[in-house]
Amino acid sequence: MASIAARRLGKELKEIHSEGCPVGINLVKADDFETWWFTIEVMGESEYKGEVYTLQFRFDGQYPISSPAVQFVITDGRQAPIHPHVYSNGHICASILGNEWSPVLSVTAVCVTLQSMLASCKKKERPADNDRYVRHAPDNPKKTQFHYDDDTV
Amino acid sequence: MSAPRVPTVDDLRVKLCYICREEEPNESGTQRTWTHPCKCTLIAHESCLLEWIRSAQGNSTRAENALKCPQCGTQYEMMSHKSKVLVFLSLGDRVLQRAGGVFTLAATAAVMGVMGSGIYITLTAYGAWAVKNFLGKEVFDLMLTDDPSNWPWTAFINLPIIPLSLITSRIFPANKSAFPTIVPILSIWPGAHVAPQRLHHEPWHTQKPPPPPYSSYSPSLFTWPPSPMIFGIFVAPILRIMYKRVLHRFAYWLLGANLSEFKRRSRFGVQLNEGPFMIRIRANIQDENGNEIQEGGNEGGGRRRGGDEVPQDPNAANLAAAERLVDINALSIGRRIGGALLIPYISHIMGSLLFRISKRSLVLRHVLGIKHYRRFVLGLQPTLNAFTYGSGDGGGSGEPSLGNLKYWRWLAKAVTGIWWGGARRWAELDPVWWRNIIGLGLFVVAKDCLYLLHLWHTKREIETRKVRNRDFSGVDIKELDLKPGFLSESPMELGLINPGDVLVKRALR
Repeated sequence: MASIAARRLGKELKEIHSEGCPVGINLVKADDFETWWFTIEVMGESEYKGEVYTLQFRFDGQYPISSPAVQFVITDGRQAPIHPHVYSNGHICASILGNEWSPVLSVTAVCVTLQSMLASCKKKERPADNDRYVRHAPDNPKKTQFHYDDDTV
Repeated sequence: MSAPRVPTVDDLRVKLCYICREEEPNESGTQRTWTHPCKCTLIAHESCLLEWIRSAQGNSTRAENALKCPQCGTQYEMMSHKSKVLVFLSLGDRVLQRAGGVFTLAATAAVMGVMGSGIYITLTAYGAWAVKNFLGKEVFDLMLTDDPSNWPWTAFINLPIIPLSLITSRIFPANKSAFPTIVPILSIWPGAHVAPQRLHHEPWHTQKPPPPPYSSYSPSLFTWPPSPMIFGIFVAPILRIMYKRVLHRFAYWLLGANLSEFKRRSRFGVQLNEGPFMIRIRANIQDENGNEIQEGGNEGGGRRRGGDEVPQDPNAANLAAAERLVDINALSIGRRIGGALLIPYISHIMGSLLFRISKRSLVLRHVLGIKHYRRFVLGLQPTLNAFTYGSGDGGGSGEPSLGNLKYWRWLAKAVTGIWWGGARRWAELDPVWWRNIIGLGLFVVAKDCLYLLHLWHTKREIETRKVRNRDFSGVDIKELDLKPGFLSESPMELGLINPGDVLVKRALR
């Protein structure tokens, strides 16, 4: 029996293939139900105009009960966007990836949320505690307990 | 006669679970229960929803969103069998948790207050208090006395270590009971020292007790109670292992699945999330399966990969959820430290209780090794023979008269006796420590039983859960994909209702 996670991811993938991704988001690779890669680009006028970033989703067997581990890819010349909620190691401090995750969200919904998080940024800067965090950060961003304090940026 | 009928989840043409995204056409007669728990269009399999709630509730940061619809924010209504015992136990847990929070605040304030100058004094004072409680006043007066100037220099090292080791034993719990750690600490070290001042000041000490001929004290291998040293080094660890086994068996019998504590033992780390504090101490320690243990978060993932034996067993899943629910209130650092520091006092209370009961029971008196029962009642002086023992004045005349063989035999017995029965002075004293240890043991057992009881009731609560299924009142009917039958059954053809808002209403049979 295919697990709930695999069946749900299969459906999401089918939808992506049949209906396409939202504007500015493209599927790069989804060969299995463990790791998917997307490119993400902010459309229209923004601080990130013309910049393309790569997002990595990692799923565990409890998806969608447990949230996917989402981060920007920083290998092979790729960079994490400079944003007050994005650490230079690609980890993202966003409540929907943590305590506000809900199974009603989907992979594309997460992409769109992150896209709008970038779009609404006024000033390109790293989080204040970037260096300290990056030094001690676990490999999996889900193991970090972020303190979500600032919804304005 | 004709009440408007509102469509329910059963009137949908195709059901789509918002959690697993499985679709189910209405005609297909599957048995899975569907529920519409909120006021918007989201519906779900009841089992999916319950799993989501269970998982979210087990994580303190997500718990507040567990019973809320992610789309319309409606609170889900849960129905379950919640026994009075469970309500009581949960309340007790929350009270303790709150007390732990208060303790954190108070302790932080206290630490700040004595920072620099007084930490050492505080720790030492606590150590002395712990010894007094745990070993009894008699021993305390002999070993230390209330006047620190009488203390041996070792006391100034050992005493402040006591609170520290108690605390570390709880923050990094290799196991849940603090029982084994306290035994060596409190029992071994004072064994050799007697506060010198005391002997001269006690009035009864002036009338020197006759030096005992060494034959009168015949150390044997089997004195009761055993010496603190033997108990701490050998008996306690064995007892602990056996106890864990028994507890494990009992838990399995009671709950029908293994406690996860036994599967992934090393759960290091503390989360402090009380009031103004947000501290997280965590060691990235790998458990036996090589997964990093993490507080909450993707514990589910860890469990999946780690415990492959029972991922689908609903019994085990419910138990794991129950454990997380119960533990979520037991994680506060204040509660842990406060609990650890109270151990000597708890021992003291339990020991006193046992002592009281032993007045009625000869058997218990023997078990507890209360020999000088009358002395406490009549207020007689303690026997201090012990302290002149081996001082030389007893030996001078007696030794040569004995045969060499006899002498060596006596010596051998004495040496083993010190190991088993403790130094003579230990054997002579009222073994307060012994009844305190037994009392503490009973306390630990009672606490574990209470924990299992709580777990059992929580598990049953989880097993009986149902989410209240609402109808679609308040939802715009046009957003719903209703099965064709629903429309034809509606009283439109009766002409009673304006066809515009008809769809919602239907005469009840």
